[in-house]
Amino acid sequence: MRTPISYFLILSGVLFAIGTVGVLVRRNALLIFMSVELQLNAVNLALVAFSRLHGNLTGQVLAFFSMVVAAAEVVVGLAIIVAVYRRGRTVNVDAARELAG
Amino acid sequence: MIATVYAKPLAFYLLWVVPALPLVGAAVNLFIGRRLGRAAGWLASALMALSFALSAYLTLWLIGTPERLLPHVTRLFDWISVGSFEVGLDLRLDQLSATMILVVTGVGALIHLYAIGYMRDDPRYGRFFAYLNLFVFFMLLLVLGQNFLVLYVGWEGVGLCSYLLIGFWFDKTENANAAKKAFVTTRIGDTAMLIGLALIAVKFGTLDFDRVFGSAAGVLTSGSATLIALLLFAGAVGKSAQVPLHVWLPDAMAGPTPVSALIHAATMVTAGVYLVVRTHVLFEVSGVALTVVLVVGLVTALYAGTCALGQDDIKRVLAYSTVSQLGYMFFAAGMRAYTAAMFMLVAHAFYKALMFLGAGSVIHGMHEEQDMKRMGGLVGRMPVTAITVIVGALALAGTPPLAGFFAKDQILEIASHTGRVWVYVLGTLGSVLSAAYIGRLVFLTFFGRPRSEQAEHAHESTPVMLWPLVVLAAGAAVVGVLNLTPEGRLAGFIEPVVGLVPEGEAGLSAAAISVIGAAIALAVLTLMYLTYGSGRVDWLALRVRLGSIQRLFANGWYVDQAYAALIVAPGKAAAAYAAYVVDVKIIDGAVNGLGGGTRRLAAASRRLQTGLVRNYALAFLAGGVAVLVYVGLRL
Repeated sequence: MRTPISYFLILSGVLFAIGTVGVLVRRNALLIFMSVELQLNAVNLALVAFSRLHGNLTGQVLAFFSMVVAAAEVVVGLAIIVAVYRRGRTVNVDAARELAG
Repeated sequence: MIATVYAKPLAFYLLWVVPALPLVGAAVNLFIGRRLGRAAGWLASALMALSFALSAYLTLWLIGTPERLLPHVTRLFDWISVGSFEVGLDLRLDQLSATMILVVTGVGALIHLYAIGYMRDDPRYGRFFAYLNLFVFFMLLLVLGQNFLVLYVGWEGVGLCSYLLIGFWFDKTENANAAKKAFVTTRIGDTAMLIGLALIAVKFGTLDFDRVFGSAAGVLTSGSATLIALLLFAGAVGKSAQVPLHVWLPDAMAGPTPVSALIHAATMVTAGVYLVVRTHVLFEVSGVALTVVLVVGLVTALYAGTCALGQDDIKRVLAYSTVSQLGYMFFAAGMRAYTAAMFMLVAHAFYKALMFLGAGSVIHGMHEEQDMKRMGGLVGRMPVTAITVIVGALALAGTPPLAGFFAKDQILEIASHTGRVWVYVLGTLGSVLSAAYIGRLVFLTFFGRPRSEQAEHAHESTPVMLWPLVVLAAGAAVVGVLNLTPEGRLAGFIEPVVGLVPEGEAGLSAAAISVIGAAIALAVLTLMYLTYGSGRVDWLALRVRLGSIQRLFANGWYVDQAYAALIVAPGKAAAAYAAYVVDVKIIDGAVNGLGGGTRRLAAASRRLQTGLVRNYALAFLAGGVAVLVYVGLRL
C-alpha cells in the first residue's frame, strides 16, 4: 500500500513552517540561512511527492533544478555572510542595518 | 529673334534688383558703416538713386508693354510648399506697384540725401542709414509682393524699422517709450491682419493675389468677405494711424526728422491705403467694409484736423496733419475712388515729405527748438526753407494749381457726384481745418517777429539739405498735372488694376466744387494770416480765452488719457496680478507644493525602511499569504 499523499504534504508543510519561523525569529545569519534551506527542501519534498502521485517525472526534474540552484545560492550566501562577518565581527543580521531610512 | 521679344522681359531680370539695392546698402552700413564714416550716407543715397532710376526704367517698360502681358510676376524662389498649399517669393510689377515704388524710391532718395546733412553730427551716422535703407527694402517688398505673405513680411519689416528709427535716440526715455508705443499699437492691427491672412488661406487655399481676387466673388459670402476685409482694414488702421489706433503717430515724432518724413509721412503710413486699394476686390464683395473704411477715414480726417490746430510742436502739427490726410485717402477708397486715393497718396508723399524736411531744417536752424511759440520771422533768415515750406503748405491747404488742390478736389467731387452730400460737407470741413492748421504753422514759424533768442539767430541749412527741399517743392507744385481730371494720366495708368472712378451726376458741378475748394483755402489762409501773421491780433490772449478748447485739441481730445485709464491701467493691473498673484501664488505654489508634498511623503514612508532584514522577510511572508488567500478565495 502506498503512503497517502497527505502524509508527505503535511511533513512538507511542517518543514516549511519551521523554516519560515526560523527565518523570522533567528538573528544569526547562518541559522537563517539554514532555515531557508529547510524551506527549499520542504518544497522539494512536495514536488517529489506530487511527481510520484501523478506518475510523471516533471516534479523530480524540477526538484533537481531546485537543488542545483540551492547549491549555487549557498555559495553566494555563505560568501556574503563571511564578508559581513569580516566587516562587523558579527553575523547578527540586526546589526547590519546601515540602510535604515 | 522676333518671337522672343516678350518671352523674357527685362523686368524678369531686373525687378528683384529694385529692393535688393537698399538691402545691400543696409547690410554694408550695418557691418562696416562705422568705418565708412561720411561715405555711409552717400553710399545709401547713391543706392537709393540707382533704385529710383531702375524703378523709373521699369515703369517706362511697363507703359510700353501690351496690357495682355501684365501684370508682370517674377518668382524668385519657392518659399513654402505644403501639399497643395504653396507660397513663392513672388514680385509683381503692375501699374499700382510701379506707382508705389516710384514714390518710395524717389521721395526716399531725396530724404536720404537730406539726412546726410541732418544727421551729420550724429555718432551713429552709419547705423542710421543702415536702418533707413532696410526700411526702404521692406517697403519695396511690401508694395511689390504678389501674395499676402510677401506683403506681410514687408508690412512687419517696415514696422520693425519704424520702431528702430523712432527710438533711434533711445537714450532719452520718452523716445524709447514712443518707439514701444508705436510698435505695440500697430501690432494690435497687425494681429488682426494676420488672422485675416489665415482666413484667406483657409477659404481660398492660396495667398496669391490673382487667384484670391479672381475667385473672391464666388468663394466668399458677404459675411465672410466683411470679416476678412475688416481684419485686413484693422491692419491698415494700425499702420496708417487711423482712429482708434492713431495715438502712436504724434508720439513717433520723437524720431529724427528724416524718419518722420520718410516713414511717418510719405511711405510707411500710406501702406494701409495701398493695402485697401490692392485688396479692394474683397472690400467690394463685402460692401459693408467699404462703408466702414469711409466712416473711419472721415472721422479721422476731421478729428486729426482739429488736433493739429491745437499743437505747438511743429512736428506734431504735421503728424496730426498726416493722420488727417490719410483719413482723406481712406474715405476716398471707401467711395471706391481708388485712383483718387492713390493720387492723393502720391501728392501727399511730395508735399508732406517737403513739410517735414522743411520743419527739420527749421529745427536745425533753431538749434533743436520745436516749439512754434518760440519761432517767428524766420522768412528773412531761412529764405529757401521758408519758400519751399510755403509751397508745400499751399499744396496741403488745397490752393490751385498745386498738387493738394487737385487731389482733394477730386475726392470731394466724387463724394458730391455720387450723392454723398454729408461726406462732401464733412470733407469740405476737413479741408477748412487743414488750411487752418497749416496756415497757422506757416505764419507762426516764418512771419511776425522773432519770439526767442534762437529765432533771432536762426541760420539757413546746408545745400545738401536744401536741394531735396527744392526738388520736393517742385514736385508738390507740378505733380497735380498728373491728374487734372478724374480721367487723368495717373488714374488712367492705375485704372487697369483698380477699375474706373465711380461717376454720377448728383450734386454740384465739378467747376463749382473746384471754385468752392479754392475759395475756402484762400479765405482760411487769409484768416490765419490776419490772426497769426499780421501782428494785428493778440493770438496769445485769444488762446487763453479759448483755453478749454485749446487744451482739448492740444491733448488730442484726451484720447491718450482715456486709453491710459481704460486700457493701459487695467492692463498693467492685470499684468501685476498675473505676476504677483497668479504666478507667485498659484503657479509657484503648485510647483512648491508638489515638492513639499513629496518631501513629506518621503519623511513618513522612510520609517518603513527599518534596515532589519527580518522585518522585510515578514513583509514577504505577509505578501505571500495575501496572494495565497486571494487566489484561494477566487477558487
